[in-house]
Amino acid sequence: VRRKHDFTPFATRGRRAIAAILLTFALSSTVTVALSIWATSGSEHKAAVLQIAARQRTLAERYVSEVLLERQGVRTDPAYTAGLLLTSANTLLEGGTAPAVNGDDDETDLAPAQGRVVRAQLEQERRLVIDLTQTGKAWLAGRPEAVTLTAHEKLTPTDPVGRLRVLTALTSSVSLNAARTIATTADSNVSKLIRLQVVLGAIGLVTSLLLAFALIAATRRQTAHFRSLVSSSTDLVLVFGQGGCRYVSESVVQMAGRSEKELLGDGFADAVHPDDRGVVHAAQTTGEPAEAVFRMVNGFGEWRHLEAHVSDLRNERRIRGIVLNARDITERIRLEEQLTRQAFHDGLTGLANRALFRDRLDQALARTTRTQDLLAVLLLDLDGFKQVNDTLGHDAGDQLLTEVARRFTAATRPSDTVARLGGDEFAFIAEGGHEADAVGLANRLLEHLARPITLGGRELALGASVGIVVHRGGPGDSEELVRQADVAMYSAKAAGRGRYELFSQDMAREFGELLGLEHELRLGLQRGEFTVQYQPEIDIADGSIVGVEALVRWNSPSRGIVSPGRFIPVAEATGLIQPLGEFVLREACAQTAQWRSAGRLPEPFVTWVNLSAKQLDGSLSPLVRKVLESHDLPANVLGLEVTESAVIEEGPNSLRARGELESLHALGVHIAIDDFGTGFSSLGQLRSFPVDIIKVDLSFVQGAERDPKDAAITANIINLAHALGLRAIAEGIETDGQLRSMRDLGCDLAQGYHFARPMPPDELGELLSRGSAQPLARDAQPAQA
Amino acid sequence: MRFWVLTIPALAAACAAVFAVAGGFAPSRSAAGVRTLAVAERDFRITAPTQVRAGAVTLRVHNRGPDSHELIVVHVTGKSLPLRPGGLSVDEDAVERETPGALEPGRPGATRDLKLDLAPGRYELLCNMSGHYLGGMHTMLTVR
Repeated sequence: VRRKHDFTPFATRGRRAIAAILLTFALSSTVTVALSIWATSGSEHKAAVLQIAARQRTLAERYVSEVLLERQGVRTDPAYTAGLLLTSANTLLEGGTAPAVNGDDDETDLAPAQGRVVRAQLEQERRLVIDLTQTGKAWLAGRPEAVTLTAHEKLTPTDPVGRLRVLTALTSSVSLNAARTIATTADSNVSKLIRLQVVLGAIGLVTSLLLAFALIAATRRQTAHFRSLVSSSTDLVLVFGQGGCRYVSESVVQMAGRSEKELLGDGFADAVHPDDRGVVHAAQTTGEPAEAVFRMVNGFGEWRHLEAHVSDLRNERRIRGIVLNARDITERIRLEEQLTRQAFHDGLTGLANRALFRDRLDQALARTTRTQDLLAVLLLDLDGFKQVNDTLGHDAGDQLLTEVARRFTAATRPSDTVARLGGDEFAFIAEGGHEADAVGLANRLLEHLARPITLGGRELALGASVGIVVHRGGPGDSEELVRQADVAMYSAKAAGRGRYELFSQDMAREFGELLGLEHELRLGLQRGEFTVQYQPEIDIADGSIVGVEALVRWNSPSRGIVSPGRFIPVAEATGLIQPLGEFVLREACAQTAQWRSAGRLPEPFVTWVNLSAKQLDGSLSPLVRKVLESHDLPANVLGLEVTESAVIEEGPNSLRARGELESLHALGVHIAIDDFGTGFSSLGQLRSFPVDIIKVDLSFVQGAERDPKDAAITANIINLAHALGLRAIAEGIETDGQLRSMRDLGCDLAQGYHFARPMPPDELGELLSRGSAQPLARDAQPAQA
Repeated sequence: MRFWVLTIPALAAACAAVFAVAGGFAPSRSAAGVRTLAVAERDFRITAPTQVRAGAVTLRVHNRGPDSHELIVVHVTGKSLPLRPGGLSVDEDAVERETPGALEPGRPGATRDLKLDLAPGRYELLCNMSGHYLGGMHTMLTVR
């Protein structure tokens, strides 16, 4: 009974069939041999019996002869012969030792007779022997009529000789007949034996054949099972030997879309990607590497990635080849590629991301170390992108970035790397060529960018600042290169937008310094290292104090007193100017309000606060209004100083700055143009500005005393101011002579060390209490900001 | 396991074949409707009917042993049957023309038929193996 839950391994099944065949053969052989041995030994025994049985006839005739001779007076021994006859007849029937006859033969051991017929015949024989010997004995004794016959015979002759002869004939006949029966019994036993052996042999043969068929069937099933396992498996199985491919599984045939015949031999190599044929060839000839990944074209002409486990079974008797067990890992590879793409590409623009850019740069550096080719890295920052984002929304910003990315890709060679590092910052790697090519690329990028982009129904023209660093072959550090490109970009930005800058070492030093300053500025703002000092402004006509200029001072714990000329540009470049400017504004207003409430302010009085052009971004006027309100100050005690360039330069920024100034002016806040005369603007443009005071730059003030040209310029400026209804103030008065020359030129106000240096608020408060600032008896003081 | 399912009936069939070959065959019987005389041979005697009508007759000879015996039917024309010169058995050659049928020696236990077409007369049924006739193996059958 087959139990289904039992799993019989195929190998065991095969072994069992073979064992059963062997067992059948062994069993039938053993039975046959045993029967043969038994039959042979039986035959030996029967030969002895036959000999004794046959001997009875001779003995019977000899007995009769001896009786007849005895009757005629010849001395014989019939009694002895009668004894032999009787003993032999008895032995034949019951077993025992048959006597030897006169040394003609040997004593013979006999087993009791077997078989009903033989025993009946031998009993008859014994009775006849008794009748014969009794008849002979009676005749010799002279009383022949006294014999009682025992063998159911009815003798016709009446004379003793006749009776003896018939009895002898009967004895002989019966003994021969018994011998014949024994012989034929033996024969029939042997023939039965032969038949039995034939049948046993037939059974063995049939059983063996059946078992062999069972074995073959099991083997076939096993083979079919494994074949179907291999065939139905999605795994691709290939066996290679001498002369190429020897076996391909069904799955290989299906995947390759070629017939088995085409794939066998050298055919398989044709389906392998040319770049991978080396690997596959090595695997199929040497068994190395143990894991091989290669590509193979499928029936649709599409490259599939296969990962093969290579087993060297050349020493395996049943295989004698190298087995490739391959899996299709295309989907996995695609997924990996997709993940890699996600990890290394910018999701919005599809450009390389920062990670891939760094990777590509490292690779490019490795190449250039070998080739000594020139390598250029460009960093690009879009100008004004933040405004687009703020005014048109992030979606528009994203569209803009996508379009920009497209243009950048178009502007570069396929071998160049275009990356978006984040926000509106892009990076490029260009290999080979000259420095001029890098500059050419920067120009192309700017040109592509300059073409108007239509976005949300508006046309935008974008500028960008590009920093270029050129690496002239040999080993290099990618981080260093990026930093240098960044410095160059910063420099381009600082030098005015819409341009590129090539990195130089001077730039690096400057930039490093700036970076340090920026960090400390930031910290300084947080730690309150900044203070505001005040320098009085004097009415030249009567020497009265009519205002103060609020000047920011930075006392850095690590640098000591830092000049505003040093840190203001850094603050402007980094955006720190906003918090710094706000701090100064609040501080100055608070102080002014304090003096005012203390009744120390003369009338009129203006506290002047310096502005950076960066502060004129639209957020200033609300701030000013808020600060004035919070201190309950009238607007006309506050003045704002802006540089000439901040308002007079052409462009959208200056327009916005002008609008902001106008709104502040409308509020009542005074506006002054600082450092007037140093810019390149047309003086006529002043007319369109909401300006109250022009500050004459100290270089003119200090030169006017000795240089007629400076004096003429100063005079012109003052005249112009007056012509426009403005007043003029001379900065940096340090000597009495300078004061006199300014007074002679008709300048309204003055400021400088000659009167007072910038001072802390409490000192200035005392000065205000005195009502005027007398000129100090000190000449040749260093210029102040 | 599965091939045992095949093997077991195979073995059974093979065994059946052994019995069929070794078991021998049942003896055929003669057709009914013919007169049959039962003749028994035992020890050195023949037991048979003494009279029968002339015509076709079948002697069903049963040797009851223990010895082998033949059965010869001789038409007795004289006083007694002639003996061979040794004097121990009937001279079959001399009575050959008067012998309507005979059975060669048969094994003990065997039953054999002897078909005869007997004319009226006296017939002796005998076994002529050495000494058997003179030992008493003869009987007379009268055919009318």
